[in-house]
Amino acid sequence: MHRVSRPSVSGILINAAALVLVLSYALPYIYLLMTSIKPAADVQQIPPSFFPAVISFENFREVLQSSTLPKAFINSLTVAMLTTALSLMVAVPAAYVATQYRRRITTFFLLFALVTRMVPSVSLGVPLFQLLKSIGLLDTIPGLVLAHTSAAVPLALLLMSAFFEGVPKELEEAARMDGCTRFQAFRKIILPIITGGIAVTALFTFITSWNEFLYALLLTSESTKTAPIVIAEYNSVYGLAWGAMTAAAVLYSLPVIIVTLALQKQIVGGLTFGAVKG
Amino acid sequence: MAGIELRNINKIYGNSFHALHDLSFDIKDGEFMVFVGPSGCGKSTALRMIAGLESISSGELKIDDRLVNDVDPKERDIAMVFQSYALYPHKTVRENIAFPLLMAGLPKAEIDSRVNEAARILELTTLLDRKPALLSGGQRQRVAMGRAIVRKPAAFLMDEPLSNLDAKLRVQMRAEIASLQRKLNVTTIYVTHDQVEAMTMGDRVAVMKGGVLQQVDTPQNLYKRPDNVFVAAFIGSPSMNLYEAVLNGRTLTLGSNSFEIPDRVFEGRPSLNGASNRQVIVGIRPEHMNDAAIRPSSAEISAPVTLVEALGSESMVHLNIDASWVDAGDPDAVADIGAEKAAVARFSPKSTIRAGDIARVAVDAEELHFFEPDTRTSIR
Repeated sequence: MHRVSRPSVSGILINAAALVLVLSYALPYIYLLMTSIKPAADVQQIPPSFFPAVISFENFREVLQSSTLPKAFINSLTVAMLTTALSLMVAVPAAYVATQYRRRITTFFLLFALVTRMVPSVSLGVPLFQLLKSIGLLDTIPGLVLAHTSAAVPLALLLMSAFFEGVPKELEEAARMDGCTRFQAFRKIILPIITGGIAVTALFTFITSWNEFLYALLLTSESTKTAPIVIAEYNSVYGLAWGAMTAAAVLYSLPVIIVTLALQKQIVGGLTFGAVKG
Repeated sequence: MAGIELRNINKIYGNSFHALHDLSFDIKDGEFMVFVGPSGCGKSTALRMIAGLESISSGELKIDDRLVNDVDPKERDIAMVFQSYALYPHKTVRENIAFPLLMAGLPKAEIDSRVNEAARILELTTLLDRKPALLSGGQRQRVAMGRAIVRKPAAFLMDEPLSNLDAKLRVQMRAEIASLQRKLNVTTIYVTHDQVEAMTMGDRVAVMKGGVLQQVDTPQNLYKRPDNVFVAAFIGSPSMNLYEAVLNGRTLTLGSNSFEIPDRVFEGRPSLNGASNRQVIVGIRPEHMNDAAIRPSSAEISAPVTLVEALGSESMVHLNIDASWVDAGDPDAVADIGAEKAAVARFSPKSTIRAGDIARVAVDAEELHFFEPDTRTSIR
């Protein structure tokens, strides 16, 4: 029989610290959630209440029936999915070559990708605007996808490099001895091993694009606006529509939460990949 | 099956490091050839060049009389067993072994029968549906072997396949690989840093050092007739004892000891005949030094005993010979020797000698090895 052990003081302290940490992250989101289900009249009451007195979905009804938000959601989803696909298509092979065939130039290449992350995105906004304008892609979905990809690829490259570093070089060599070309070795042996890493990279890339605000603000207008822009527009010259804004924000955060939960196993597997070698 | 021919093979890396110098020899069809040498001697590089995983800077490599310098690994019809085994972690044992056949485009029935056959030979039948992560080191090693033999390739390449196993399993697998090779009769190149593996497994052994081939010969000949000081010391355990000595007529002076060399020794070595004050490096194998109290000899030296290791079947006696000790140039050995450069003799277990005694050592003078002090090559 198990003895019921008394909780130790250090255990209580660690749990308390963990709770404080979790609440500090979760509270703003919980408050957002609570606000979104308050009736419009209660949202701005003074003093403010944390929990709603009555649960109402009128805010959700309002944003879903609006002309702009559903369209913006579709734009966001399209841009994020295309950005993820394009980023992976570039970053996965590039990271593989850079890590498996290490030369001075590939090390420089990876470092250079890191350097691009140091440049504030606001300083790239104007050049990107000019670039896209000159090739006629301003205010188009492909244009925004290209802009997001340019921001997401360095991150994807670094993540994928870390995952590929964990794959022993002998696996590719063994596959080549077993009759594979270099590309077949990559596709049949390396790629299946690295799926966890690709899932993690895909998720981070997706979130990068999904949450991106600045480029979307600069490079799109009416028809191609993404959801973050539309949500921000609830703060207008006519006032701040708290209820609608929180409802839109809740809706907007749902896909990320669902995808993260769905990929949880791969993400944990991916994050610990290479830590224990078989 | 095929013979392999190396002609003046060089490997120079991008940073101008010269890893292999003019490597030339033939490996006969069905032969078990072992590449042996200390770390960094170029043995693995040579193997990887034969595999096609490393480019050849200059020279010619022929497999079955076909020049393959620029042929892709998959076109060379050779199988390789890696030190880390390199099993595909996402595939089962069956899928691992079947993979080369699948790539070769064999029909499914043929693949199944050959995988089952390989599994039977290697006693893997009950493990076929497991993933590599669930296998022990010895089982993984077998799967790697299975993946190699299932293809019936022209040659096997093995890169230190036993070095990740524990000592007992290594001895067992050593015998299994050697007998498997004889059964399949496939040309095999086996790389190891362990001279015991080299001596016990190989039909012939290529000893390498610093990217230069030192000697290729049968294990027996390497032991009996080493070409130079390095091979003499590298082959055999414990190593041959090497000292500077002076030859005057028939008298060899080793530090403060002197003894007569029998005529037979001079027969094959004309340059030693009638020598006067001739400097030589003399090599004495441990088994050619015995306790003079048990086996007296006309050639005797005396030396203080620093340590006796009684192994039951024999006693390893460490002696402090007062002649100048010769470093054979094995980079891996330096760390073991440390400050004490003792000679080791292999005494009968009946010997009552103890550490601290002054031993009278009978030297089997007919079995001495002589080397030039400057070129370090054998005097013959």
